[in-house]
Amino acid sequence: MRDRLLATLEHTPGVNDWRLRHVRSTSTQYYLARREPENERSVQCERLEVEVYNDHPAAQGGQPSRGAASVSLLPGEEAQIGARIEQAVFMAGLTDNPPFGLPGPAVYPQVLTADRLLEIEPARACRELAGELLDALEREPDVSLASAEFFVDRQETALQNSRGARGEETGTTLLVDFVLLARGDGGRETESHVEVRRRARGGVDLGELVRRQAQYARDTLRASEPVTGRFPVIVSGEALHQLMGGMFMSPLAFRSSAQYKHQGLSPWEVGQSIYGQVSRSGDPLTVYANAVLPWGLGSAAFDDDGLPGRRLLLIEHGVLQNFWAPQRYAEYLHVPPTGAFGNLEILPGSMPMADMWQGIGPLYHVVAFSSMSPDPVTADFVGEIRLGYERRGSEVRPIKGGSLSGNLFSGLAHAHLSQETVMLGDYLGPEAVRFRELTVSGK
Amino acid sequence: MTDSVLPLELQAIRSRLPELVASLERRAPYGAILASSQSGLQVTVTDREARVSEGPRSQGAVLSAWNGAFLEERALGSLEAEALATAARTLAQELSLRAGPAPEPGEPRDEHLTFPVEIDPQSQSPRDKLELCRRYHATLRGLDPRIVNVMVAYSESTEAKAYANRTRLLSQSLIRIRLQITVFVSDGQKVQRDWLGKDGTGGLEIARASDDELRALAQQAVALLAAERIEPGFYDVVCDPSVAGVVAHEAFGHGVETDMFVKGRARAAEYLGRRVGSPLVNLLDDPSAPGAYGSYLLDDEGEVARPTTILREGIFVQGLTDLYSAFRLGIPRTANGRRQSYARKAYARMSNTYFARGDTPVEDLIAGLERGVLLSKTSSGMEDPKGWGVQVEANVGEEVVGGRRTGRLFSPVGITGYVPDILASVSAVGSDFALDGGNCGKGWKEWVPVSSGGPHLRLKARLG
Repeated sequence: MRDRLLATLEHTPGVNDWRLRHVRSTSTQYYLARREPENERSVQCERLEVEVYNDHPAAQGGQPSRGAASVSLLPGEEAQIGARIEQAVFMAGLTDNPPFGLPGPAVYPQVLTADRLLEIEPARACRELAGELLDALEREPDVSLASAEFFVDRQETALQNSRGARGEETGTTLLVDFVLLARGDGGRETESHVEVRRRARGGVDLGELVRRQAQYARDTLRASEPVTGRFPVIVSGEALHQLMGGMFMSPLAFRSSAQYKHQGLSPWEVGQSIYGQVSRSGDPLTVYANAVLPWGLGSAAFDDDGLPGRRLLLIEHGVLQNFWAPQRYAEYLHVPPTGAFGNLEILPGSMPMADMWQGIGPLYHVVAFSSMSPDPVTADFVGEIRLGYERRGSEVRPIKGGSLSGNLFSGLAHAHLSQETVMLGDYLGPEAVRFRELTVSGK
Repeated sequence: MTDSVLPLELQAIRSRLPELVASLERRAPYGAILASSQSGLQVTVTDREARVSEGPRSQGAVLSAWNGAFLEERALGSLEAEALATAARTLAQELSLRAGPAPEPGEPRDEHLTFPVEIDPQSQSPRDKLELCRRYHATLRGLDPRIVNVMVAYSESTEAKAYANRTRLLSQSLIRIRLQITVFVSDGQKVQRDWLGKDGTGGLEIARASDDELRALAQQAVALLAAERIEPGFYDVVCDPSVAGVVAHEAFGHGVETDMFVKGRARAAEYLGRRVGSPLVNLLDDPSAPGAYGSYLLDDEGEVARPTTILREGIFVQGLTDLYSAFRLGIPRTANGRRQSYARKAYARMSNTYFARGDTPVEDLIAGLERGVLLSKTSSGMEDPKGWGVQVEANVGEEVVGGRRTGRLFSPVGITGYVPDILASVSAVGSDFALDGGNCGKGWKEWVPVSSGGPHLRLKARLG
């Protein structure tokens, strides 16, 4: 089907450029409810994703314009290839965007994205992980398993475009999701939930994860609400990952994006401070968009258009250095094309983890939010505290409930970053950040 | 009004499904198959760009076989009869059978189910839909010089399914429509945004926005430039239907998805038949609600849609089930077994979840606030079924003093609290009703279309 599709793309009138992604994927999934299997499943999919570009004079003014539209072809649809490509040409012909090109041939970097251990026997990997989880739980008092899910996914992608770019790569993803229950006096129960996605089996230390989550579940039993006010706040681990990375798009990625700059939505300028009018008193932020991070979830040898993956300096010492730019927006903004964002890499800061807790308090340390996704446009955030700790001198008590709110960039202007770093799938950066002051809403 | 027919690719396989089930049941005590297809169109218009393109598209099937203890499944991204027949034979052969009871297939039914559509999206070309988006864009763009960009996004998705088990052969076809208009404004210092959403199951009639609505959207976006962060604390609040609905969805809805009962994750399991909220509170989940974004006629495990009353006058009366949880718990099925797609497992999931309408006019709800906040436009929420915490984020809060809106705005506003406290604090229920559509995850994945809403509610909540 692929060969016929390529021939059709070459010969269909109105196809001025094209891009083809051939994606084949498998998923092996294993579920536990309590300690028993709940479901076991496997999935196989294949699709051809075609982006067609059509050049035409604009309806108003007649200047050269380009439109783009995508269609996909699924197994058994060989007879529909011609009609689908004509449909794509029609849709692409409806819109008058400024012309842009596609990248040509390039040498792609070798990026670690596929783990042979996961590729060879995914079902066995799932069952072994489940066994490891259950074994680790044996060592945890007063804690039991509510549920667990293990996914081993593999995706092969072949990319080709009309300008000669060609590439192939394979990626694996491991998802481990589990919920632990802690039981206290009077039968009261609390839970801790974690979802971890990594490229490789070696990226998940299940024993350590179980130990930590079991402690979180037990601490939640004793947790009470924080008090209301503005306090120094430390955010660490997955909670920090959510705060910096967002669930869908980080304010860091949004404001440094050529696309959103082009659309007038990013106030950032190259050579200017990312903190705006705020005078910085914390560690200066240095950030990379890293698409070649070994085992990074966002890593890839090439992006959707065919630009090679790379590590791009976005922000140095709090000053914007570059916008990350796919081919189209690079041309629109007259900046070098850099490809897709990849992974968020933040350089470590000045503060050792051991010094993060200094001060007489009260000081809050958040380790889990219910949900945290800063608004990409305003960078304002608010999230319920699922678990944290309040420190007053040497006294530490777990907290749960209430919310933490602020603005990410105002907060970072006065924050200290840990010297220690963690790799959390698509985030490589400080393990913890100490904000000088954020708003806690509690009792 | 027209009805949606089953797409050709599903018509071709529908009649073959019973023989595939029979192939599974050569060894499995219970087998089922769900075949699905999705196709659509997306149109986006912004100040700088426009795009018309195919929406998310998929075709595939999942074969399910009970092995005596749980379901084993094979999913294929194909509707080719031979590929499915091979998968059914292989799954049956490889099944790890063990002794144990099996789910029942239910009463025999053979039907194709559809929702009526007023204006069939297929009756208009992609060009017409692009023009519609351009019109909304142009109208908004001329309303205020502080508007720096307007994004109009239209999507239509035709979703069709065919399901069979030993006794049932059912299919459905429906169209989900969304129109999202986002206005970005700037005063030169900061950028703010506000949005207007129209969504539902039906036809192009859903994607209508009046000039008054567009004007109100622009005015509110500009007003948000002066919004402050709210002083944290407990407030008397009036929630608009979108905020009330997400409170319903996150506060109690997720906690009564009974797969959570099987896993010991739901505190609600201890409260069946007990009071959890004010007697004014009635909470329902209804996948059969005509026109709502989360509607469907057939769940992904062969159950025909009907409403479920979750809370009646503040008493928890019934949870939402999928096949596995109903079977394990020995409770009746509700039509809430849903999958993100054929590639994912079914869970107990909400559909359209809402508080039932009361009898207090909205203006009286606000007039009854001596000092409080009117909350509107939910942007997100998160569940906590075990801890019964709740997190909802509203994009807009407006101060109310002496029963009057002052125009002082707060944004964003986080609402947190303990579910029974929030539900018990409901002191008045509005006589209005609206549903707001979106996508709901289970934890951080497994996204399905839902809606939530109801009337305006007056209650007490912690804001921050």
